[in-house]
Amino acid sequence: MPDGKATTMERQLRSRQRVDAVDPNDTPLKIRVRRISAGTRTGLQELSKSRTATVGGIMIVFLFIVCLLTPVLATHDPIKPDYRDRLAPMSSEHYFGTDKFGRDIYSRVLYGGQRTIAMSVAAVIFGLSLGIPFGILAGYFGGRVDGLAMRFVDGLLAFPGLLLYLLIVTLAREWKLEGFWNDAILVFALGFAFMPEVARLARGTALVEARKEYVEASKVVGEGSFSVAMRQILPNCVSPLIVNSTVRLGYMILIIAALSFLGLGTPPPTPDWGADLSVARDHMQTHPMIAVFPGLAICFAVLAFNLFGDGLRDVLDPRLADR
Amino acid sequence: MLVYVINRILQLIPVVFVLSVLVFGFVHALPGDVIDSLAGQEAAEDPEVRAALEEEFGLNRPIYVQYAVWLGNVLQGDFGHSLVTRRPVSQELFERIPATVYLAVVGIGLSILIAVPLGTIAAVRRNTPTDYVAQVSSLIGISIPEFWFAILCIMLFSLHLGWLPSSGYVSPFTDFGASVTYLVLPALAIGFRQAAFTTRLTRSSMLDEINKDYVNTGRSLGLSERKVIYKYTLRNALIPTVTISGLQLANLLGGTVVLESIFSWPGIGLTIFQAIQLRDFPMIQAGVLVLGVMVVLINLAVDILYRVLNPRVGMA
Repeated sequence: MPDGKATTMERQLRSRQRVDAVDPNDTPLKIRVRRISAGTRTGLQELSKSRTATVGGIMIVFLFIVCLLTPVLATHDPIKPDYRDRLAPMSSEHYFGTDKFGRDIYSRVLYGGQRTIAMSVAAVIFGLSLGIPFGILAGYFGGRVDGLAMRFVDGLLAFPGLLLYLLIVTLAREWKLEGFWNDAILVFALGFAFMPEVARLARGTALVEARKEYVEASKVVGEGSFSVAMRQILPNCVSPLIVNSTVRLGYMILIIAALSFLGLGTPPPTPDWGADLSVARDHMQTHPMIAVFPGLAICFAVLAFNLFGDGLRDVLDPRLADR
Repeated sequence: MLVYVINRILQLIPVVFVLSVLVFGFVHALPGDVIDSLAGQEAAEDPEVRAALEEEFGLNRPIYVQYAVWLGNVLQGDFGHSLVTRRPVSQELFERIPATVYLAVVGIGLSILIAVPLGTIAAVRRNTPTDYVAQVSSLIGISIPEFWFAILCIMLFSLHLGWLPSSGYVSPFTDFGASVTYLVLPALAIGFRQAAFTTRLTRSSMLDEINKDYVNTGRSLGLSERKVIYKYTLRNALIPTVTISGLQLANLLGGTVVLESIFSWPGIGLTIFQAIQLRDFPMIQAGVLVLGVMVVLINLAVDILYRVLNPRVGMA
């Protein structure tokens, strides 16, 4: 195992030297830009070696392109009912057929996906921005601060399954939040529930790193605690966090679908995978196909992130890559 | 070991404390208060009635006193009364817990039955088509939403083939045969998804073990491959599987809400979900607290079990 990886690292080192050695008179910004683009190139090369990462990556790119092009790709208004065309079968007019209000299922799946994916991405970013400072500072200061912070995290983790989401969404309903704010509170709930996991990961790395010499050195130079924690320690936990966030994106799609399936997501008639599946239950006996497409869409999206996360883990964690 | 157990139990106290504060805080973050739900609209607007009710329920006292009183009652097993049925919440909840535990335990059992052989075979035949099939199917299994899988199962086995009832619950103590027919579909839906997780885990911990020195020693001593794999390696590889299955069980207690609502399974998840819809706050509060405490206790039990199974951890 070490052989393959060592050569990879050597290659990376050499390519970096090559990148840096182009012109000593370049501005720091230029060097940085070149480094990032070179890094991206080697990163992509590494990733393409993993079959799961490649397949997952292609699926994700496809997903994002479809989300961006939704207004172009959709053939019908996803919300406007058409009572003359209810429960229509698949046809060239309605690719996936229509639901009980005569709405085009194909267009609804597209718009539903756009919303779901935008919300999951927002929630992951929110969870990271809460959890990273929380975990790193806990690990960095250690001792009593750490103990207190981790008990709080344990308390949050004691909420089993969907309950934390259910509680927060219930609050949202009681406060009579609507439209954008209803989605925002869901994003808040999803991100908040992601926070403990992020905090634990970041804290684990910070605990180890905070005792190393280079951190000591930065302190001696006079950098403030917060700046040391964020600038020196944070980069060390980036790779497990990336893997976790990718897999979590898929999980969040599942949670959003489950909540709206229970009727606690965005209220109708907004297109939503979970809510549409719930409505499809009324026609299981007569029109089973209605329940197929939103479900397939969820599977595709979740699988994309799971595959990519899996491949990414293999690439970023060489210990596992050998398996 | 004893010191460890006592230590862990002491660590639980702050966790349960945080949990109780969050749960208590949740109900108090709601707009309006219990009086609005208890008394009708007119009574709530009448200041005298309101003051009397506030006095009765102790709502005029500072919030930390209210919390202390509530916690004192909870510690004595008094969760208050349901706003909907007017029965004691503890009674309602404890009637529902067995159904959830029944479903979760059978589901996890089913997942282990599927996952352990599959994961083991995948690891032993690493990088063969068998392995790829096992890996891809477990990835797909993780990606399928369980409620969709449940709907597909209902469509196939209940509506199309007519083999099984589509929803409902019969206690195994009243009619075991009927109970099993109602159990099959929800347990399958749980077991399928959990099996996907457990297969991956079993495979990777099996791979960890297979590469260890004692396996080669065993082989060089002339033990049969079957004996090396199934008698020695598998036994060690199952330690993490058992641990994670225990944690999954804890998570399932609260995670079966969706399945319980699809299959009208009268468990604690469905109870809490219905309480949320009916705005029965004492019930929500108690349900979440009870489930949270159960999760914490199961986690503790799993931790202790892990140390019993794997004494090396204790020495580190």
